[in-house]
Order: sequence, then C-alpha cells, then structure tokens
Amino acid sequence: MVRGELSRSIWSATEGLFSGARPQCTRTMRLPYRSLQPAARFISTTPSRSAEITSENPELTPDSFTAAPEFEFDMEGEGESEVKVMRNVDKGKSNNQLLRTLRVVPASRSYFSAKPTFNDDFIHVSALLRSVATLPTIPNSEAPRVAWKTVDQYRIMTNEPVKTQRFHRMMHLVKRLNCVHPSLMPEHVRTAMRRFMKDSQPGDIVPVPQVVDEWGRARGVGRRKTSSAVVWLVEGEGEVLVNGKSLSQFFGRLHHRESAVWALKATQRLDKYNMFGLVQGGGSTGQAEALTLAVAKALMVHEPALKPALRRAGCVTRDPRKVERKKTGHIKARKMPTWVKR
Amino acid sequence: MIIRHAARAGRRALAQNPSQLWRRFLSTQTDSFETSAENSFKQLHSLEGQFNATAPIQDAVPSFDPETATSNPLSAQVTESVAEQYHRFKQQQAHIGKIGSDISPHYQPHTLLNNPPAPADVTLELLLASEAHQGHATSLWNPANARYIHGIRQGVHIISLEATAAHLRRAAKVVKEVAKRGGLVLFVGTREGQDRAVARASELAKGYHLFERWIPGSITNGQQILGKCLTKVVNEKDEEIPGFEEQLYDRPVLRPDLVVCLNPLENYVLLHECALNNIPTIGVIDTNADPTWVTYPIPANDDSLRCIQVIAGVLGRAGEAGQKERLTLAENGQVTYRPAENLQLPEALQDKEKAVAAVEEDSELNLDKSLEDADELEDKLDQARNHEIGDHEARGIKKID
Repeated sequence: MVRGELSRSIWSATEGLFSGARPQCTRTMRLPYRSLQPAARFISTTPSRSAEITSENPELTPDSFTAAPEFEFDMEGEGESEVKVMRNVDKGKSNNQLLRTLRVVPASRSYFSAKPTFNDDFIHVSALLRSVATLPTIPNSEAPRVAWKTVDQYRIMTNEPVKTQRFHRMMHLVKRLNCVHPSLMPEHVRTAMRRFMKDSQPGDIVPVPQVVDEWGRARGVGRRKTSSAVVWLVEGEGEVLVNGKSLSQFFGRLHHRESAVWALKATQRLDKYNMFGLVQGGGSTGQAEALTLAVAKALMVHEPALKPALRRAGCVTRDPRKVERKKTGHIKARKMPTWVKR
Repeated sequence: MIIRHAARAGRRALAQNPSQLWRRFLSTQTDSFETSAENSFKQLHSLEGQFNATAPIQDAVPSFDPETATSNPLSAQVTESVAEQYHRFKQQQAHIGKIGSDISPHYQPHTLLNNPPAPADVTLELLLASEAHQGHATSLWNPANARYIHGIRQGVHIISLEATAAHLRRAAKVVKEVAKRGGLVLFVGTREGQDRAVARASELAKGYHLFERWIPGSITNGQQILGKCLTKVVNEKDEEIPGFEEQLYDRPVLRPDLVVCLNPLENYVLLHECALNNIPTIGVIDTNADPTWVTYPIPANDDSLRCIQVIAGVLGRAGEAGQKERLTLAENGQVTYRPAENLQLPEALQDKEKAVAAVEEDSELNLDKSLEDADELEDKLDQARNHEIGDHEARGIKKID
C-alpha cells in the first residue's frame, strides 16, 4: 500500500519534469490572506498614546507612500510643519478658543520634590545670603535676639512633611542672615526673615507700669504653688489684714506670719505701711509666700528704688516650683515600687 | 666705553657727601629710618593728590594724616560707624579695584552658574577643562560604555570627548524641542553641591528641579505623594488664568515630560519609573553607570561639579531657547502644545469672553465698512465694556431681587 503510493508519486514527479507548464486559471483575488487576517498582529501591553502633534494632509492617500524626509539637524525652525498651528480664526466659538490655549502646570518649580514651599524657601534664603554675604557681620551672641519657628510650627505653616535636618540646614542660613550688621541690613532681608520668626518675640510684651491710685493704694499680685494673693499697700502705721483677719489670726505658724510680711520687714518698712491682702487657694505656706511676692510688688510701686534690696531679700522672683505629677509605674512622682525578688 | 662709564659713576659718588654715605652703614641711630618714612608719606600724599585730581570730585579719597591719626585714634573709631566704614571701603574698592595689571583669562567658578554656556559654546576645550573626560578606575567599568571610552590612562578610563560633545548637543536639542512644545522638563541632581546647578538650569529652561531625594512613587503613585502640591492653569503666553481652582483639585497629578538626571547611579528608581511611563530621560553616564537606564545618555564625568555645571548649564540654555521660540510662536497666535483636556471655563470668564467676542465682531464689521479710525474703534470698545459692566450690574440686581 505504502510502496504503491511511493512509486506513483515518483512516477508523477518524473512526468512533471518532462511535461511543459500546465494551464492555470488566472487569480481573481490577489493575496486574499491580507484581508482575512487582522491588520495588527502585535499587541502592545502599554496604553496607546495618541501622537502629541498630528498633521493632517488630506491629499496624502495610502497609495502614495513616500520615504520620510531626511533629518536636517542644522535647520532652525525644524519640525514647524508638524506643529499644529491654531490661529484665532473662528471668533464665534471664543470659549473653545480660550480652552484650546490652556494647559495645567505646577505652581512651583519644586513641584516634583513634594515639598514645594520648603524648597522654594530654601532657594530664596540661600540666594538672599549670597547677595549679602560680603556685608560686615556681628558675632552671633550680639545679634538681635529672635525666637525662631520650630520645625513643628514650620510644618504646620507649610503643611508639608519637612525633614528636621533639612529644616535646620535652612535655619542655619537664616541665622547667618540675622548676623549681618544691623546698620547695613537691607529691608527686604528683614522682611524675608520675618517668615521664620515666631509670631510673638521676646520683649514684645511690655508690662504696664503700676501707679499709686487716687486713694494712695498700690496693688500687687503674687503667686506661689497653687495660691494667689492680691495686696493693697497704703502708707500708715503697720496694720495688717489678710482676708479680713489679723496676721496672727490667719497664720498659726510664726514662720508663715514672718514670711507674709517679709518684704516689709527686710526693708524696715513694717511700721510705715498698712497692708490689706486677699489670698486664696493652696495651703498656708503657699498663701504666705504668695503674700510675700504681692507685698514686694506693691512696695516697689511706692518705692521703686527698693528693688535691689528686695531682690537680695528674695522677694522679687516668682518661685516656679509646683507639685510634680505622679507617673505610671511609680508610687509617687518618682518613687518606684519596692524591688521584690520573684 | 667701560672706562667712561666707570668715570661717570665715580664722579657721581664723589658728588655725594661721602660722610653721609658711610654713616648709614656704621651708625646705630634711627634718624635715617625716620627720614625714609617721612619720604614715603610724602610720596603717598603726592600720589593721593594726583589720584584726587583725576578721579571725580564728589568722592575724593580721604587723605591719611599720620599726626592726627596717632594723636587720637579712639575718637576716629567712635565717630565712624560700621556702615560708614563699609561704604568708604566700597568707594575705595570702586576706585582702586581696577588698578594693576590685567589678569589673563582664568577660571572663575561662579561664571558657570551666572552665565552658563549655550549648546553652541560647547567645545572640546571647555569639556576638557571641566574634567568631563575623567572616568573611573578600569576595574569599575560597565562594558556597555565601551563605545564612549577613548582609552586608559594610569588605570583610569578616559571618556571620548567627541562622544561627549555629540551626545550633549543631541540632548540639548531634545530639551529644546520639548521646551518648545510646552513639556515639563525636570532637572534632577541629588548629590551634594549640585543643587545650585540644578536650580539654575530649571530657572533658565522654565522647568522644574529636584535636588533632594526623589520620593519613590512620585510618578507611579503620584496621587498619594504629589496630591497636595498646587498646580495652576496658564495660557499660551504663560500668564496664569485664575478661576480654575476647583477643577484643579480633582485633576490627576502632573508628570514630567522629560527628565534630566545628573546622577543616574543614585536615581535608579526615578529612571525606572520614567521608563515604565514612557517618559524620556537624559542622563550623565560615567564609565561605571549603565547607559541603558536612560534614553539619551551623555557620557561624561558625573563626579566633577564643574562638569555637571557645564552640562546642566548647556541643557538649561537649550531649554531657554526652546521656551523663547514657543513664546514667539504664541505671539503669532500659534499654540505648540496639546491643550489640557476636560477643563471647563468658569462662568466669570465665559461672560467676559462673550463680551470680547461681541466687541471684536463689532469692530470687524466696522472695519469692513472701511471705518478704520482708531479713535472710533476705541470708543466702540469703551461702549462695549460699559455694556458688559451694565450687564453685570443688571444681573446682580436680579440676584438681589
């Protein structure tokens, strides 16, 4: 069976060699597979991008394919024909006209750093420093005292996750700007530095000077621990009233009585002023020492020259100590539980 | 001849007082020194006099009087404040600064930043002077850079400056064309000291800069990272158009259209993200870097700040030229970029546009009737503006009603 096929095929092949061309019917359809198969055989995995610049030449039919023109690298206005030219011809559709010229761009040159405000600040400050770098300076200790913004305040202002190290690098430049000699400091530098200052500066709040009122009273307020005291001093014979009671009635301990009028005693004014005090809050020690401070302040209104003496007596400074809070894991503020083996 | 010379010298020696001559060497007194000092002061005074005569009169150099200076030096210091001293110093510098010999052209570091070279100024001499040819030790090389390497010197690869110049010019052309078509060009140089070059290049090219760390995902996960950063809407003349703030809030974040990376070795993530998003990149490729990381490599030394400044400057200048071309085309009413999609005109702007269109139509009609008087046209425009204002007012009243 197989041998018969082989011999037949060999026979037909030899016949074909000697015979001439066989008559063939002419093809009506040339290359049919082109129309049958899909045009695009390569599927792109990336999203297709439409050409940015499109040129529409209606006379260019698919029959007349020509090679692309040669690159001319020296030509100046090269590619201008590709550029889609939009002329303001149609004025009826002016809305679309305006929309066709708009594009969206970042507001800052530092957009891609994700901290545009901070980076713009940094560039601005370093440019400022370069412009004033040759001016005479004063040492940092003599420079005007400024409370600078902290990292957190700056972060809140800019609403950007600024790195601490980067921020301090910028503040180093700002502090160098502050060291420019004040008589030569340009005004724009001063305004630029204001951005990095805290809203309230040291020395901004000046206390109003107290005066003796029309009845000859001087008022003083003092605090200690959790007590606060108000004292009115008038010139007199040395009468003392605290919350409507005499000193011995109000304070049981001798020490407390002494410390309440210590400011008068230390300056030997005990018999020259009448004192009326109101005190509230805290215990007796706190109340007594709150009275000390209040009396001293009221006395300084009458006689400002006594301030050094009062300071030496320790009556001018507010004692800032308060009860320390208790912490978790401690018995008191600092006391730890006793160590038990196992 | 020699005899005559000797005789002349001898005569001169005899004419001088011999005792004075010898005393100078023998005596231990200091009076001769004082006289010489006086002479020098006199010379100084005469020089100053000459100088004041030639210089403009309003700021003559104050002469230095040694007697008053020594008598009360403290008072002089007290009377003259620091500001006065500084201004005096500046004045003197303006006068005296130019005196002296001319210095032959030399390298001044700030010139590369203040006045960077344009692509046309790129020469092999400039590149050689800025050490663009220095590669890395041969053991560190990436063989893909073989075609950019000229040879080996003392165990270090030397980059072919011809290749550098050619690639730099090609990259400059790319930057220029992208800038001309309104693309966002991002300059990245995150190494220490590259910040000024990067900022300057972006300033020239009206592009964007990055001199800190590239935050990974700024392109692939942009909405999370750049979502808070502000954008704006500009027209073809780069003027900001207000009123789109609410629409901008919902838009996707922007991506660069071209990234110029001055230190590709440290910014692999950035280049990878760009490659994923079909954003072309230009990079300075040293002999140890992989040139396939970037689209348009510039074989050069990325460790030299001077070389980086040259390259950044050239690309910045190219961008500047592209922006200039774009703006001149915009002046002629041609828009070279694809406008932003899905933008709606705010109502306030729409009314204005309509009014302007109406005015323009009116003026065109007038022109057709051969009324080309400029004054009349202006009157018409004024009228139209008044109409507009009137319309607005009428609308406001309606709203109130």
